Amino acid sequence: MAEEVETSLMVIVVDLHTRQRYLRQQPSQLVHVLDSIMTLANMHLMLKTKNKVAIVACNAARSDFIYCDSDAIQPQPIQGQSGNTVQKQSDGQYEVFAHLETMVKQNTRKFTLDEKSTFFDDRDGESLIAGALTLAMCYINRINREKPTGEKLNSRLLIVTGCAGGASQHMAYMNVFFTAQKQNIVLDVCSLDYELGLLQQGCDITGGLFLKIPQLQGLLQYLLWVFLPEPPIRKKLVLPPPARVDYRAACFCHRNLIDIGFVCSICLSIFCKFSPICTTCNTVFKPPTSLVPKKKKKPNKGVC
Amino acid sequence: MADEDEGNEYRWETGYEKTWEAIKEDDDGLLEASVAEIIQRAKRKRQAERKPNTRLGMMRHLYIILDCSDAMSDQDLKPTRQLCTAKLLEGFIEEYFDQNPISQMGIIVTRNKRAELVCELAGNVRKHVDIVKQIAQGPCSGEPSLQNSLELALSSLRLLPGHASREVLIIMGSLTTCDPHDINVTIQKLKAEGVRCSVIGLAAEVRVCRQLSKETGGLYSIILDDCHFRDLLLQQVEPPPAARTQDCSLVRMGFPHHSKIGNDPADASGAPNNNAMSFCMCHLDVEGKMDASKLGVAGHLCPQCGSKYCELPVECRACGLTLVSAPHLARSYHHLFPVDNFLEMDAKENMKHNCFGCRRKFVEIDKHVYKCGACSHIFCLDCDIFVHDTLHSCPGCTSSCKNVK
Repeated sequence: MAEEVETSLMVIVVDLHTRQRYLRQQPSQLVHVLDSIMTLANMHLMLKTKNKVAIVACNAARSDFIYCDSDAIQPQPIQGQSGNTVQKQSDGQYEVFAHLETMVKQNTRKFTLDEKSTFFDDRDGESLIAGALTLAMCYINRINREKPTGEKLNSRLLIVTGCAGGASQHMAYMNVFFTAQKQNIVLDVCSLDYELGLLQQGCDITGGLFLKIPQLQGLLQYLLWVFLPEPPIRKKLVLPPPARVDYRAACFCHRNLIDIGFVCSICLSIFCKFSPICTTCNTVFKPPTSLVPKKKKKPNKGVC
Repeated sequence: MADEDEGNEYRWETGYEKTWEAIKEDDDGLLEASVAEIIQRAKRKRQAERKPNTRLGMMRHLYIILDCSDAMSDQDLKPTRQLCTAKLLEGFIEEYFDQNPISQMGIIVTRNKRAELVCELAGNVRKHVDIVKQIAQGPCSGEPSLQNSLELALSSLRLLPGHASREVLIIMGSLTTCDPHDINVTIQKLKAEGVRCSVIGLAAEVRVCRQLSKETGGLYSIILDDCHFRDLLLQQVEPPPAARTQDCSLVRMGFPHHSKIGNDPADASGAPNNNAMSFCMCHLDVEGKMDASKLGVAGHLCPQCGSKYCELPVECRACGLTLVSAPHLARSYHHLFPVDNFLEMDAKENMKHNCFGCRRKFVEIDKHVYKCGACSHIFCLDCDIFVHDTLHSCPGCTSSCKNVK
């Protein structure tokens, strides 16, 4: 009986925002973080020959792939095509690893330099992790489509970030979470600095792991121990307990977390107090009726 | 009956079509490119039909009226109409609740000239799927009664608050119906109450069904085969535009948190003692199973009265508050803020080599590429469809800082 071929695609989203705390304190830490991520990628490729890796970088200005299959070594190198030809083996290292390393370094340099030249003014904005995730989803969708019949592709996402917040991209995040849930893609988050409520929700929805690492020095160990194992194997490991996710809603008017609120029946916006006009869809509401209407009062049939 | 179907004539009444002329050979005498283009066009057609910025009825209350008459045991759909319908309905139910998380659904079965309510309006996916499976095992006999089932649905939909979207979906295998009175009266009543009735016919067009859907603003369609049947069902998954009679109001809802969250004593915000063991309210009345309601600490607590539920969304049985979680609401936001359709461009004008989304290299066969109007990034057809059908946010717009709201 033919054994089912399972491949695993890991898409890593790396936050390269310059405002991350560890980068502000010591910019050279970036090398450490990138090295750890590349090691993780190589380890993943090493587990099975068919495994695949893609890396997406993002900052406040844009997000883009820094390693994907068009950067990968072509099976038969075409002459004259620079960058993609097989490098000669050095130090006995597997060529693919060395190649990944050079490509990631090269593209990271390109990515950061490009950002500085084009978008100088808005560097304090939020990191566009959601954009990187949507790119990753499109990429996964294609790899899934192009896979040979009979093969099974398990995809997962890993975010490595030291940024906080993400409220402004709420919609995009949610769209990614639900798409991932539908397609059985696991979302893992490795936070370097903050407890991220929104990404925690995403991990919980897709069945992934959220981990805020206590110290940056040990990043590689955390990556290898917690995020390298495939989701089915994780059940057998002793991993950090799942985060307690707060699913309360934030109202659209004050961004407060609320227990009981009002929801617009047209656009489902959430408000903490009754307001006569919905600020999202401009619907005019009827005044609230009491739960036990008085019998004598005529129902108001005027324009609502 | 001169007013029937203006502007929408039947296929056999239209002019003579030379369908084979749409297919052209390319320079090498191959049909592949031409066929690929036809397929692409068909894929995009559905997108183009979508109209943005309409007010939608997001809180849907849908009754499915399922014909279980003799006609459903026909074998033109394999294995039988009934089994095929049940199988497709299961998929439909899951998709429906996925896309309309705070909506409700009920099921009515009609056979032997009677209508029977097999499932009240409720929001539980598993329960509905189980019921559909049961129906598939049940008998098909007698004649259906359209009027009886519509009246039954109406009696329940009538009681809903004004902001709810009221809908009926009829799956009709029979070409006849056995009604006690004039069905036109029922149709007028449905129209007055703002109930949107859609009909999917498994056999052939029936005038009364067309009348019904036309009067109430629904869709009427006849299936061609099982794939078409599936497409027609999935059409019903998207929330319809809000009916004019529908009120707008703010609905009071509760957002329960996991009862486990309040473990630390500092958090005294939750009214009840969060650590207390309790029974969940949703499984209290399951007969014959004593252990159905498990004693435990995990669950969602109603913020108003403290009753515990193991699943959301649900209406609190004690105080009547609708309990939802924030992601439930967020799940339906994409209907309201859809991605604008991409512009079709000729591949020759395109200067980019790769699709922005999936990084696929454009090749000869890509006759068209697609450009997002907002961010001007170029996408391939597959990404275009994936973005609009599944992902609902444009990768280009979300990954450049100018366009993030």
